[in-house]
This record gives sequence, structure tokens and C-alpha cells, in this order.
Amino acid sequence: MKALRAMWMRLRRGGRHDDEFDAELQSHVAMAVENGKRQGLDEQEARRRALVQLGGTEQVRQAYRERAGIWWMQDFVRDLRFAGRSMMRNPGVTVLAVLTLAVGIASTTTVFTWIDAVSLQLLSGVANPSQLASVVSVAADGTWITSSYPDYKDFRDHLKLLDGIAVTRPAAFSVGSEEHSDRVWGELVSGNFFSVLEVKPEAGRLFLPAEYGDAVGQYPVAVISDQYWRTHFGADPHVIGSTIRINQRPLTVVGVADPAFHGSIPATAFDLWVPYMQQPMLNGVQDWMLRDRHTRNMLAIARVKKEATFAQAAQELKTLADRMAVANADVSEGMSATLLPLSQSPFGPQALLAGPLRILMGVSVLVLLIVCANVANLLMARATAREKEFTARMALGARRGRVARQVLTECMTLTLLGTGLGLAVLPLSSRALTLLMPPGAWKTVTSLNIRPDLPVMVFTAGLCVLVAALAGVLPVLHVTRLNLSSRLNDGGRSGSAGRRHNRTRSVLVASEVALALVTLVGAGLFARSFAQTLHVDSGFDPNHVLVSQLYLSTNGYNLAQRKEFCRRLEQQMQSAPGVEGLAYADGVPLGYEPSWWEELKIEGYAPQPDENMNVFRNVISPGYLPLLKIPIVDGRNFTEQDNEKAPAVMIVNETFAKRYFADGKALGHKVHGWGTWFRIVGVAKDSKYHYLNEKPTPYFYVNFRQLYREDMSLSIYVRTHGDPNGILSTLRRQARSVDPNVTVYDAQPMTEAIGASLYPQKLAASLMTVMGSIAILLAGVGLYSVMAYWVAQRTKEIGVRMALGARPRHVLGLVIGRGLAVTAAGVAGGIALALLLTRSIAAFSFANFGGGQHPMLLARTSMDPLIYAAAAIFLCSIALVACWLPARRAAHINPTDALRME
Amino acid sequence: MGDKTDVWQGTLALMILKTLETMGPQHGYGLARRIEQTSGDLLQLNYGTLYPALLKLEQEGYVRSEWGFSDNNRKAKFYELTKSGQKQVRRATADWEQTTEILSRFLTPAEEA
Repeated sequence: MKALRAMWMRLRRGGRHDDEFDAELQSHVAMAVENGKRQGLDEQEARRRALVQLGGTEQVRQAYRERAGIWWMQDFVRDLRFAGRSMMRNPGVTVLAVLTLAVGIASTTTVFTWIDAVSLQLLSGVANPSQLASVVSVAADGTWITSSYPDYKDFRDHLKLLDGIAVTRPAAFSVGSEEHSDRVWGELVSGNFFSVLEVKPEAGRLFLPAEYGDAVGQYPVAVISDQYWRTHFGADPHVIGSTIRINQRPLTVVGVADPAFHGSIPATAFDLWVPYMQQPMLNGVQDWMLRDRHTRNMLAIARVKKEATFAQAAQELKTLADRMAVANADVSEGMSATLLPLSQSPFGPQALLAGPLRILMGVSVLVLLIVCANVANLLMARATAREKEFTARMALGARRGRVARQVLTECMTLTLLGTGLGLAVLPLSSRALTLLMPPGAWKTVTSLNIRPDLPVMVFTAGLCVLVAALAGVLPVLHVTRLNLSSRLNDGGRSGSAGRRHNRTRSVLVASEVALALVTLVGAGLFARSFAQTLHVDSGFDPNHVLVSQLYLSTNGYNLAQRKEFCRRLEQQMQSAPGVEGLAYADGVPLGYEPSWWEELKIEGYAPQPDENMNVFRNVISPGYLPLLKIPIVDGRNFTEQDNEKAPAVMIVNETFAKRYFADGKALGHKVHGWGTWFRIVGVAKDSKYHYLNEKPTPYFYVNFRQLYREDMSLSIYVRTHGDPNGILSTLRRQARSVDPNVTVYDAQPMTEAIGASLYPQKLAASLMTVMGSIAILLAGVGLYSVMAYWVAQRTKEIGVRMALGARPRHVLGLVIGRGLAVTAAGVAGGIALALLLTRSIAAFSFANFGGGQHPMLLARTSMDPLIYAAAAIFLCSIALVACWLPARRAAHINPTDALRME
Repeated sequence: MGDKTDVWQGTLALMILKTLETMGPQHGYGLARRIEQTSGDLLQLNYGTLYPALLKLEQEGYVRSEWGFSDNNRKAKFYELTKSGQKQVRRATADWEQTTEILSRFLTPAEEA
């Protein structure tokens, strides 16, 4: 109450105080003088005593004003005006500091916003998303792989610590009649999908428990997304209950999902959900595949019970999976399963971005530190340069706190300007994340919820404010502790405080150089390892080849019709102008989509007890190997005669032959897979299949006509003479002439399609290069500002030296030597730090799925001395330039001018 | 001059209030002189500090001020205790007495029980 009343009085009377108090003071002094005169003093002496007794009118006035209320507002406005003036007086320093701060704040907050959008956000539109987890099968060799429907049923029926487990498989659908169909990305899901995720319907209903079953083809229903409902049906409530054609089959739309719900894979958005068991109708997947533990094409997502911890649920899952591995030893030997938080799921676009972004986060912290060091440097330099000004103010009666407050206002103004500028670009820079999304099919379903990360913004801005405040105010407090008259007389001539500050600032610059070196070495290592990977021979020729996808199952084609379509398309294309060849296959080597494998039995080869006999494969047309210029080193290629009726044949690669056959001769041997025996008729040269930096991997090819299944994809390869994009229209035309309803999707030059496998590396390298450049720029600026200031401070000393006979080149040497000494210290520290850090980054694998290997972001050892040397030399030359400019100025000082200057 | 005591933190307000209670309305200069005299010139009082203290008391509602004329017919601002100021004097006096009483028990040798 008292405090409130006091506050009110302060506010109410704020303005009138000054004049009124002046009158009061006047009357006080007059009475004191009168009193003095009565005691026999003369007027002057009486006044002097009165003022001494009062303690100085200005001080009393200030104390009174401080008590009186909004003094701080007035002071603040005054300080602000003063800050503006002093910033204008030194526009260089101001602009530099503001820009530095803006860069630091913008880069850090951008990176954190990206990380938030990609891997920190929980699934939206579901209840209690933190209880959700990704269920991942673990292959015998530790690779994370997807699950099969029978595995899912076992998990669903036996796990007690889960509230439920659902499976999903992203797929493309065609929606609408044959004449007007859209391609829509959706998920094939188990019936309980929505109940496990706890999604609410926006309209209608979601799947009912009666639709949760495992009966094939019994649930002709679909749920659409709110977005699709609005964009394609105008949010018409009558759509619910109506029938739409999906892949040419009628399904009933039973409901619309919650507007916030976009599916079960982070950072993507799907528009359609169809029961998994409808697949035989929709894409011709056969019933037995749904019962096949080999058909691992689904992602499992579980809800952990509230009363159970993740670790407990994971343990229960592992126990069950281990038991299943024994019970189904024929297919799942040595396998296990584990629970992962959804954001760490190895499948989906976020898996590709997570590694590079985590490294980027580390680097952005380095950049922020550099920024802090830089700003501290600039402000300390300014504060030190103004020592005399502060001393003069104090001599005139200002208190230490008051001077400090004024400097603080200046620092805050500077910091807030920088922060504002940095945050202003945030909306733009955080959008840039979409540019980083991996190419390929994922790009079409990518959906990012980019939201500014408030805590990070507050943290970075707060850190900068703190640094600015400390850097600005500490020198003031130091100055004010010194003896006033000595400071004034000394006139900053030799600068005893200056030397101390110089040491602090040298340490700051040295650490800046060290941090910049770390980022530079990092950028160098990533760029070099990326460049090395690029030079790896892929073993095939991707130039002049166009790759595209066909989704024939969405046109209601059965298997025989699909094969027939391909045969006719190939025929048509052979005669089309500009086409050198056409081939089709299930997968794209080095592509983004995961690669598939088959468990093999090889005649004459006895596997070790725990040996993983899952071998990667591709299902190809006879034209595939010649089109990609993969030579057959032994035996023959597939021919048109290797048809459905002919004996099954197989082509293996060189590593396969060496690995499984003692004499390395594979021809004629028999291999068992998919329930049949194949005879090896050819050996193809090794090429790269998943990553350019993979080790030689056993691999085999089977013939499209002999083994193509309903759940396989269909990639069309066209080789041409010129620009692969130029052939797309021909391909479209020919495909339409075979069937007017077939659309060619995702066409791109193969050189780009295989770029996807390099994606994380490329991303890491380019992001590191950007951050490295920022770091170097900042460190250079820091070094320059310190040297320039040092020279300015020593102008007089340099003048004396030159008057005593020092040559300009001595001066040059003096300044540059000093700068380089600081740099050298920084470089040494930086190298030590970089060695330490890169060792831990080198352990970073960027993907952990299907590829069977754990490719590293850094292909080479972290010890690459060339990169360290190059980084050190580069930094030193930047430092040289930064020192040389002020040094040259110093060397051209006219001694008489320098000595006269004060 | 050397052995004069500085005014202890927080005691100035009570001195002002008590002086006003005894003397009735008084201007700043008069108050300062009176406080110095009452202390038997043992106190080193910076007259200037009186005004912020008076202002604080006014803001808290313990005193009110009014312009008037001094004995020598000089315009001056007079301070006067309010009702709540009178209460505050009693309260603060009691508090202070208790404090000194407690302190004195520490300072004088304890009697055997």
C-alpha cells in the first residue's frame, strides 16, 4: 500500500518538482547565509559554509530528483539521446557492432528454428505425442530396418506395456475417375492407426474397431485430411459417406481427420488414409505378402502406457522380438527390435537432416561465441578510448553508478539494434529450410511447421546483452576506481589501464581466431570429404539418363498388365527419335528410396552361424545393365528369352562371386530366394548401390519378367544423346499412346536422382562453408579492430620512435609482429580444439537405415594435416591484412604531428 | 569535528518525525539545525540529505508540506506531521526502543541468573 501510494505521488508530482525544489533550496541557502552573517561572517564566507554544509546544490538536486519519481525516465531519455550522438560520432564502430550482433543472432536463431522444425516438434493433431515411439526392427548386423505385417501382429498381441501399436506405409494413390485423377500421397495404415495416435475427426468418423481386423479386402473405407477436404471438396459435409475412386477402386470416405493432423511421419503431410488390408484391391499386393515376414515395408508406431517408461517398454519389446527371432529362425534369425522417439526415427526426411543440423548447431554456437568476443572487443575499445571523458564527468561530480548507467544505455541501444535487425531477417532465413529438404518423392510431401523458437531468441539476445553490458561497463568501473587527478593528468599517455585492457582484448581476439580456425577446419574437412566422395567412380554412367516413376497400380493394373505395359512402352520408345535405350527396374541405385534385399541360400556355401544372408538386389529389365553401362565380366546378360516360362536366372556382382564361391567362379551355381532356385548366368562389374563411399557389397540382379511383385516400384530409365530433360516429353507422349491414363512422375536426370544419396554430406559441407565464412569474416573484423585501436593508442609512442630514428618498416614490423603473435596463439589453441572436436564429429553417421552400412559424414580421418595447415595459413593471411592496414597508417605517421597531438 | 558520528541508515526519518512532533510545523533548514542541536552537535549531518528524506516521508504520507513564511518573513516550505505520521512516530519509537534495549543486553555485562 505504502509503496503504491509513494509510486502514485511520484508520478503525479514528477514534473513540478524541479522548480519547486529549487525555490526550497534557495530559501534554505538564504536562511543559512543570514544565520552565518548573524554570527559575524561576511557574505561570501557565509555562503561558502552554507553550501559545504548542504553538501553541494547539484548533488542534493540529483538525490532529490532520484527520490522524486521519474528521474530515471528523464535520465534514460537523456542517455538515449547521448547514446545516439556518440553512436553517430563513431559510425564505423556502431555499424560494425550492430551488424556483428545481427549476424550472430540471426544465424543462431535460424539454426535452432530449423532444428525445432525438423526434429524437436512432436507430432501434431494427436493426443499426448510424447508417449508415441517408433518401433524399429534391428537386423542381425545392427542395422535399423522396417517391419513386416506378421511382426506387427505379434507386437500388437503380446506387448503389455503399450497402449497400442499401429503400422503405416506411405504410398502414392490416384484419386478420381480414370480421366481426371490426382496423385495423392497417403498412408496405408492398420485399422487402429487413429486410435493409437488418438486423433480426433474433424467431420464424420475415423476407423471403427470393426475395421481394425486382419481380414483382407474387407474394409473399403478411407479418411481424408482436412486440407484435402477443403481444397478438393470445398469442405462439403456431403462428401462423408460418399464413394470416391482410389486407384480406380471405390472406397467410402468415412471422415475427415483433425486439421492439425498430417500423418505419422515428422516433417511431412499426407492427405489420405486407407486400411492396410485393402492393398490387394488397391495395388494388387497379394494376400500371402501380408502374411510374409520377409515383406518388410511398413513403419510401426507405438503408444507407451502412461505408467510405463520408455526403457521398460523397449525392454519388453526386445524380449519379445528376441523370442520371435528364435521362433521364426528361418526368416528372422538374429533379429531384434527397439523403441525410438519419433523424432529419431531413421525413416523419413528428418533422418537425413538430423545429422547435418546437429553439427550445424554446434557451429552456430561457435559463431555466437565469436560474435560475443567481437562485440566485447569493440565496446571495450570504445570504453577505454573514453576513459578521459568518464574521468572528467566524475570530477564534475557524477557518481560511478550514474556514469555506468549511461554507458549501459549505450550498450543496450547497440545490442537492441543488432538484435532487432537479426530477428527481422529470421522469418526469411528460417523459410530457407525448405531449400534444404532432400530431393525426390519426400520433397512433395514435405511440410514444415516453422515457428520462431522464443526461448532460443531470448537466450541469444540475452547473452549478447549480457556480453555487451559487461564489456561496456566493466572498463568504466575500473576507470572510476582510479584516482581522478592522476587519470586526468596522465591524459591516457601511456595508459596503465590500457595495457591491462589490451591484454584482455588480445585474449579475446586470440580466442576468436581459435574459434574461427575450428569452423574453418570443420568446413574444410566436410568439403574435402564431400569432394572425395564425388570423385568416387560409381561404376555406372548416369549422364544423359532420365529416371522417372510410374505408379501403374494406381491405374488399377494387375501384375500381368504392368509387365505388358512396360513391354509395349519399351517397344514404342525404341523407335522414338533421340532415345538410345529404355530400361526399367524396381530401384534406383544411389537413390533416395531405401534398397531391398532378399535372404539367400547359396548352393555350396555354408554360412557362419550368425551370418547375415540378406543380400541387396535389384529387379531389372534386360536393358538395364547395358543402359547404365555396367559391364558383364563373365557369362551373359538377361535376354528376352528369360521369360516367365524359362528357368529362373540371376546375375551377381564380382564381390558376390568372390565372397560366396571359393574359386570366385559364380557361373552355373544355384541360389535360392523367393522360394525358387535361380541359376547364375552372369557376373556384372561392381558398382555403387547405396552410397558412393560404401565398401564393395555383394549384390545381385534378377529379371523383371521372372520376378516382379505387386509391391515393387517401377522406375523407368531412358538414355538419350543430349539433355535428359529433353526426352521427357517424348516419354510422356509414348506412355500416353500406350495408355492415355498413365502419368509419368518424378522425372529427373539420373545425375540428380543419385545426388540424393550424397545429400547429407553435401548439406553438411555447404552449411559448414557458409558458417565458416561468417566466422572468418568476424574474426578478421575483430583482429582489425584490435590492431587499429592499438595503433591509434600508440600514435604518440610511434611518433617518438620515429623521431628517434625508427624507419617505417620497423614500425610496420612492430605492429604486424604484435598482431601475428596474437593470431599465432589463437591458431595454436584452435588446432588443439579442432582436433578434439573433429574426432567426435568423425564418429557421426548420417543415416542408419536399409543401406546396411553406416556411412560417415566425414569420409576421411579428422587428422588431415593439409586442411589444418590450409586453415591456419588462410587465417594468418587474413590476420596479416587486418594488421597491415593499421600498420601502414602507423608507418606513415608524421612524428611532429604525432607528438603535437593530444 | 573528527569524532562526529555519521547519521545511521534509517534513523534520519525517525529523527525528522520526532522533531516535527515536538516542534510542530517546521521548514527544512530549521529541522536540520534542530536535529544537529538535539544531538548535542555530536552528529555529522549533511543538510542536503534531509530533503530527499522529507520527500520520501511525504510520499509515504507521514508528513505534508505547505509554503509559508519564516520568522524573518522569508518564503519557506513548512513540513507538518499527518495523522498517520503521528502513529508512525509511536510505532518507530517503540521499535527503536526495543532494538536499543536488545542491543544493550549484549553490550552490558550479563547478570548472573
